[in-house]
Amino acid sequence: MLRRRIFQFFMIYALGIALLFALKYALGLSDYVVPGPAEIGRTASVYAGPYLLAVLNTLAVAILGHLLSIGLATAVAILGRLTAWVGSFIRTAAYNIQAYPIVAVAPIIFILLGDGLGSRLLIAAMICYFPLLLSFIGIFSEPVAEIEHFYESTQRMTWRLQVKIRAFENIHKISTVVVGSATMAMVGTIVAEFIAATAGIGYSIRIALYQSDLAKILVALFLIGVGTSLYLVSLEGLGAALQARFKRS
Amino acid sequence: MKQALTIFLMVIFLFACGQKEKLEDVGYRLKWLYNVSTVGDLYADAQGYFARNGLKVQVKPGGPERDALKELELGHAHFGVASADQVFRAVAKGAPIVVLAQLFQVNPLNWIYRPDRTPFTSPKDWKGKTIGVTFGGNDETIMRALMARYRIADVEVDLFSVRYDYTPFYEGRVAFWPLYLNAQAVIIGNKLAQAGERFDFVSPDRLGVKFVANSVVTTRQMVANHPDTVKRFLSALLQGWRDALDPRNEDQAVRVLAQMDRETPEAVVRRQLTVTRELMLPAAGVAFGEIDVDAWKQTAEIMAAQQLIPAGLPVESVLVTGLGPPP
Repeated sequence: MLRRRIFQFFMIYALGIALLFALKYALGLSDYVVPGPAEIGRTASVYAGPYLLAVLNTLAVAILGHLLSIGLATAVAILGRLTAWVGSFIRTAAYNIQAYPIVAVAPIIFILLGDGLGSRLLIAAMICYFPLLLSFIGIFSEPVAEIEHFYESTQRMTWRLQVKIRAFENIHKISTVVVGSATMAMVGTIVAEFIAATAGIGYSIRIALYQSDLAKILVALFLIGVGTSLYLVSLEGLGAALQARFKRS
Repeated sequence: MKQALTIFLMVIFLFACGQKEKLEDVGYRLKWLYNVSTVGDLYADAQGYFARNGLKVQVKPGGPERDALKELELGHAHFGVASADQVFRAVAKGAPIVVLAQLFQVNPLNWIYRPDRTPFTSPKDWKGKTIGVTFGGNDETIMRALMARYRIADVEVDLFSVRYDYTPFYEGRVAFWPLYLNAQAVIIGNKLAQAGERFDFVSPDRLGVKFVANSVVTTRQMVANHPDTVKRFLSALLQGWRDALDPRNEDQAVRVLAQMDRETPEAVVRRQLTVTRELMLPAAGVAFGEIDVDAWKQTAEIMAAQQLIPAGLPVESVLVTGLGPPP
């Protein structure tokens, strides 16, 4: 799975680069607009090391933010499945918060939390939690009638048991949405770093943009792609292992 | 008979319209969003200076994601505004860019500080202080040039990464904060004055670092293949700038800018315009827009010393002088 995923990413990246080179040579563009292979090679030899560290930094924050958003979405979905006023209020609040553009909210977060880890984590979580929330609300609000009926008629149903039943019956859906939202966690972290942090690959990209250095950005994108692919493969592996374990039990 | 006469008149009218001189379409990409630093560009357009020179100019705002130099090379614009550091970075990578005129005679980038908390008499006073810079931006380059000039080592100051949010400066965590004297300085100065705080500015130019800011640029091909268009554009543009900065035209200039920049109050724009005049108008006997070759050379030296561009870049070959009107 890992090899396939990495190979697919290399294919996409190579296609993108080939397209840029085709444009460069067809239009006779300078290295300033589209860097040539030699320029990219030189940049990679100098910046691959520091950028790799920056990507690992970003990836670590993205994973933490992703975990935070999974926890948050689970909690909101469990509360949101209530038909009571509180559940409805939580759902509305969650939708409204998501409706705000993150670039407008981010400066407020940075004023409150500073430009350190906390802000990056929160923004990453805010960006990736919504697809999780939508799926989780759907999953936890939908009764599994044929199983729940038994526990309800025997008056052994508790809210914990209800959540467990619904999660177990939809484990494949949960696994898919968790993997899908991982990419958004990475994007969210990079956006946060781009807007205001002073570490991570988003911050490096911002500096490269100030310097109009597309070669640096291409190197950064390559490393981000590799890092994201590795994280997705790990999540897919973890999801498959969990499903297998549930089926066995 | 009456119907025939009407048709005849309509034909004559259409013919007359067709005979009207067709304006040449030109794209002009600014460096930043519409603000006081673009007032002359907008004035030349609004007052019909371009049209009188046979040009229909689309004055497009710039911004953080817009790079006029790339647009010139890609053919999306014919003229643009860029700072010297952008020009040198592009030329060092083979971009066929040339400079036609220099708008700011003095770089508007300054550092604001509170003299009662952090007195400043020379850059030596920066030692041990926290100074804001945009890493990767031209303010970092200018600050490093100042530090090199006054022999201040990196470890002797604390460089703080700044963004759009001024809170670290308001809170006093950062003692010196970079801003543009003719734009944000007026607004931030207002806030500090209202809070009863004293403030002042450090000007790199006065400390001997001349780092050229906004200049008018185009491609070598444009100069070679369309010299007449270049001359007509530049003539109208510089006339627009001169008139926009003329105090007698201030009301008109403010009105023109207000149509494009509705966010900035008129009183602020008027004060910004006064500062802009001081930074843009050249010394007596020097034509508006004249290129300060020595300043361009110093900018290149600064960037080469910081290894941002290769040493020995042929600076003068990038500068097209003598196109503008006489002083």
